[in-house]
Amino acid sequence: MKIHIPFYMILLTTCSIMLADEPLTGDAVAEMAEQAAYYAGKDGKSDVHMVITDANGQERIREFRVLRLNGEDNKQMFFVYFNEPADVREMAYLVHKQGGGAEDDRWLWLPAISKVNRIAPGDKRTSFVGSDFVYEDISGRSLNEDQHELLPGEAEYYVIRNTPKDLSKVDFASYDVWVRKDNFLPVKAEYVDEEGKVVRRVTADKIEVIDGIPTVTQSTVEDLRRESKTVNTFRNVAYNIGLNERLFSERYLKRPPREATR
Amino acid sequence: MKNRVHGYNLSQIGLKFPLWVMLGVLFMTIGFATRFPAVTFDNNPENMLADDEPVRLRHEEVKEQFALYDFVVVGVVNEGPEGVWNPETLQRVDHLTQQLLSLRQENGKPVVDDFDLQLAPQGKRAQLLAAAFKQNPERLFQADGSSAIIKEELIAPSVVDTLHQLESGMLDIRFLMQNVPQTQAEADALFAEAIGNPLYRNTMVSEDRKALGIYIPLSEKTYSYNVSTLVEALTAEWPEEDQVYITGLPVAEDTFGVEMLVQMATSAPLAGVMIFLLLLFFFKRPTLIVAPMVVAIVSVICTMGLLIGLGYDVHIMSSMIAIFLMPIAVADSVHILSEFYDTWPQIREKRATIEKVMNHLFMPMLFTSLTTMAGFASLALTPIPPVKVFGMHVAFGVGLAWILSVVMIPAYIMLFVSEKSLNSKSQPKQNASGKHHDVLGSFLKRLGSISVNHYKSVLGVMVILLGFAFWGISKIQVNDNPVLWFTPSHRIRESDRVLNGHFGGTYTAYLTLAASAKDAHPSPATEMTLVYPELTTGPQENTWSAWREWARAEDDQSQQQWDPLLDILDRLDIDTLTGSTLTDAITRSGALPEKIKAQALAMVSASEDLRGEDLWGEMQDQIDQALGFRWENAVTQVQAEAEAPAFKRPDVLAWVEKLQDSLSSGPSVGKSTSVVDALKKTSYELQRDGNDEDFDLYYQSPASVQAAGQFYIQLSQMKKKDSLYHLVTPDYEQANLWLQLRSGDNQKMQDAVNEVESFVAENPPPIDLKIDWAGLTYINVVWQEKMVGGMLEALAGSFVVVVVMMIVLFRSVIFGVLSMLPLLLTISLTYGLIGWVGKDYDMPVAVLSSLTLGMSIDFAIHFLQRARELVRQQGSWQEVWPHMFAEPAKAISRNAIVIAVGFTPLLLAPLMPYKTVGFLLATIMFVSWLATLVLLASLLSAFQGFLFKSNSKETSS
Repeated sequence: MKIHIPFYMILLTTCSIMLADEPLTGDAVAEMAEQAAYYAGKDGKSDVHMVITDANGQERIREFRVLRLNGEDNKQMFFVYFNEPADVREMAYLVHKQGGGAEDDRWLWLPAISKVNRIAPGDKRTSFVGSDFVYEDISGRSLNEDQHELLPGEAEYYVIRNTPKDLSKVDFASYDVWVRKDNFLPVKAEYVDEEGKVVRRVTADKIEVIDGIPTVTQSTVEDLRRESKTVNTFRNVAYNIGLNERLFSERYLKRPPREATR
Repeated sequence: MKNRVHGYNLSQIGLKFPLWVMLGVLFMTIGFATRFPAVTFDNNPENMLADDEPVRLRHEEVKEQFALYDFVVVGVVNEGPEGVWNPETLQRVDHLTQQLLSLRQENGKPVVDDFDLQLAPQGKRAQLLAAAFKQNPERLFQADGSSAIIKEELIAPSVVDTLHQLESGMLDIRFLMQNVPQTQAEADALFAEAIGNPLYRNTMVSEDRKALGIYIPLSEKTYSYNVSTLVEALTAEWPEEDQVYITGLPVAEDTFGVEMLVQMATSAPLAGVMIFLLLLFFFKRPTLIVAPMVVAIVSVICTMGLLIGLGYDVHIMSSMIAIFLMPIAVADSVHILSEFYDTWPQIREKRATIEKVMNHLFMPMLFTSLTTMAGFASLALTPIPPVKVFGMHVAFGVGLAWILSVVMIPAYIMLFVSEKSLNSKSQPKQNASGKHHDVLGSFLKRLGSISVNHYKSVLGVMVILLGFAFWGISKIQVNDNPVLWFTPSHRIRESDRVLNGHFGGTYTAYLTLAASAKDAHPSPATEMTLVYPELTTGPQENTWSAWREWARAEDDQSQQQWDPLLDILDRLDIDTLTGSTLTDAITRSGALPEKIKAQALAMVSASEDLRGEDLWGEMQDQIDQALGFRWENAVTQVQAEAEAPAFKRPDVLAWVEKLQDSLSSGPSVGKSTSVVDALKKTSYELQRDGNDEDFDLYYQSPASVQAAGQFYIQLSQMKKKDSLYHLVTPDYEQANLWLQLRSGDNQKMQDAVNEVESFVAENPPPIDLKIDWAGLTYINVVWQEKMVGGMLEALAGSFVVVVVMMIVLFRSVIFGVLSMLPLLLTISLTYGLIGWVGKDYDMPVAVLSSLTLGMSIDFAIHFLQRARELVRQQGSWQEVWPHMFAEPAKAISRNAIVIAVGFTPLLLAPLMPYKTVGFLLATIMFVSWLATLVLLASLLSAFQGFLFKSNSKETSS
């Protein structure tokens, strides 16, 4: 669990109660941060403006709309509809996240060839549309994949060290996440290599309260090995907009529902 | 007469203050020798061009732009029935890959997983050489401590990615060899997949299954020798059937650099020994011949000290300084000693003997040294920095050797050679060498009589030879290939042969295509009305974002009419949905416009049989259809096409594909890789669905801007997302074609350049494209071109200088020109021979041309100077020529033999350029010696009346 795209939030009251009762474990903080970052509200939408800057300073722009609907047991469904660049408009992803560490179902619609492709479960640490975000940043890394250890914290943050159980699947040795104590939003994650050098950093740059939910409205990922970075800005964020479960089917990959076009 | 006084004075210094002279030389030598520890070596042939040479700047720019690195190519070859595609070999390849990736530094030592790495040189000699030449095989890390191997760019089956459609139809992105096959069947399947990928076929995977290529990218190519040593160490224990070959231009260049230093350390001393033995053979007096050896060694030490002191690197060229300088440096001393020894019996007094010898020899020695210096110094006219440095320093060394010969040799004789020993040894020596002189002497006599008596035939033969020489010269092939700098049996040559037999080629060139700055696009309105002529409305502002805004509003409007129906569908319980509940809801709706309501009811009645989810879905489809056209999509599509960068345009991509087809059908390019290959593969994997015709249908360059854009997005999210940007810039305005050539021959590279040029001329690209080249193979072509032109200039320059010098020396235009003739013949015959034999005109050959001039004129100077002197004394050429073919001819012959033999240790070198230089110099010495004696004697015989008449006139006046 890292900051990434923070579509969702949990109720602060829940946290406060837990805080009062017992000292938090690393697992508990990790779970609440996951809820805050990925499961806020019942559903939600957001327009993402993505600027990828490579080592030579060249910029590439992507724009897409995300529609998300939470299910039970951390299940989740979401759409990613592309708007920019112009040549990939209408390209779309549909993801059925199974939760609990099970593999996600993923579909890809490419309008240029009028074809839906199902994507085999596999590496989630590949780049998302050529940016420095990886697929896992978008969908959330399963809590089961890491051990979570609460480090001696700072005044405003819990710091959790996450160590992957299977190092062969990842391109880092561990990562630390700074989680705000007041709203459980993860605001910084640093990934280190075997030599302890920070190789990747994700930060929440701006947080706004939208529909009563603290929401990251700008986040940045820096790839320190490649010297590239990607900045995501979130616009038109809305929660609890009443999305229908039936929208999250192949049909609406090809032809976005009106919820996606307005 | 005046000149003689000069020489007399210079030598007087040596005669009067021999001790001071010797001490002075000693201190000077020590002074220069103290510079030695600061020595730096430069193995990089790229430095044949200046740092700011456009092609080098472009090369760096391309490397930067496309994030390219120089590669060490490791080939694993297995000749068994399954080739390398068997579980065991693949296991080893995977293991090697992991080891290379694990390279790290611990306590300043390189360490890899599962291996006890011992890279430090073993054995005293190796350690000594390594220390002297500052070679450290453990130098495998950059300044910041990170590995010299760019790990994330390694090309090997375990770490390259693949987009692949599984049998289930799902798209799979993974490493090609995610898991090492455990059975032969799995290995076969992996081979099938690997060979089906155009990016890897003939690059990493050979079609015959026998070979597998691992490309190790380096932060700098100067690591390549050490990395190849590392790979050799890691694979040393591999079984016999898995052969490991290492090649690639960087390795060849770097290995050459390393071996060149070893070569330098062996052949220069060897040349010294050779010369010493020869001198011993000629003069029989060790004490006497120590002197020229000292001259040679002192000149070499001082010249190298100067080079190092001035801050120059020891480069391939400058490593040859010692071996060039030594035979030349002894030449003057040999003349002095030769004469001294001949004159001694007549005078039997050291000082007077030396004075007489010096009077004789001062002018010719001065001029021979000056011409040799001019020959070498003319190399400063070439546009190639290391050649300039070489030329200037050898010129310095020759000058120094001359001063030493004139000053130190007399001092040496005064100090160290006792008159007693001269007297006692002169008798037996005379006898001992008498026989040898007789052989040489009688041969020279016969030579002289033929030249003089049959001058017509001799000159005729010469003219015919000259004709053949020019014919040969016209056949000369200008070509170089760093790999051919090694002898055919060298490991590098072997690897080169084997790997280039299996793969598309291990020589890299980059062909870059860049879209020129774009003309202003037509306005969005113009573009839109072009596609939608019926369009009458539009936004107020004529920008794409305004058009999108407008389109969205238009779409909203048509969608809004249907909103109430969609609301109904959202509201109703889908599971219990039936035609009648739906009809009910629609009929009761107040929000639906009448027209839409009627349409909606018709939809329901058409789907009467359906209920629940099916009905709901059918209704959604129907509404979609009714909504139909969306302006926003239409605007975006027009915008995408109007604004498409060059390498998203189907016409440009198709053109690139055609260019590649044309190149691969040509003889010079083994394989080319472009972004079109990646797009075709992506297109195929995304679209195929298990039919036979899939390949023909879908393995195609994208048909639309949208398809290109969408395939690119897939390629940008592969496991190695950077791979795409080796082939195209992120703005898609520039593309890079990776060309693999099977030979590092500059000619093959030039052929490829020509093929591209003629293709472009016949098939102009659909848009303006700037076509450029980079890559080490191409850089070699550029410096070769410079070298050929530069050497011609240098040759012409030194020719002019030497002619002027000769005219001054002989105070006669006609004798000046005459003295040039033997060397003209020599150069023509030597290069004619190169043409006839088919030897490529490469770097060493080119460098030799201009210095030949400075060296081979020496014989002519001595011969003509002596001939004129004798004619002046004795009256006519007819009387003089037998004398000429006695002592003077002998001195010239001795000299030619010393120089020629002095270079012969180069023939034993394991590196071809040194062999070439050794062979050619020996040939040049032989030819110019013969040409001088025969041609000049014939010419003097033919034109004696004319030549010596003017001479006597001159003296009388």
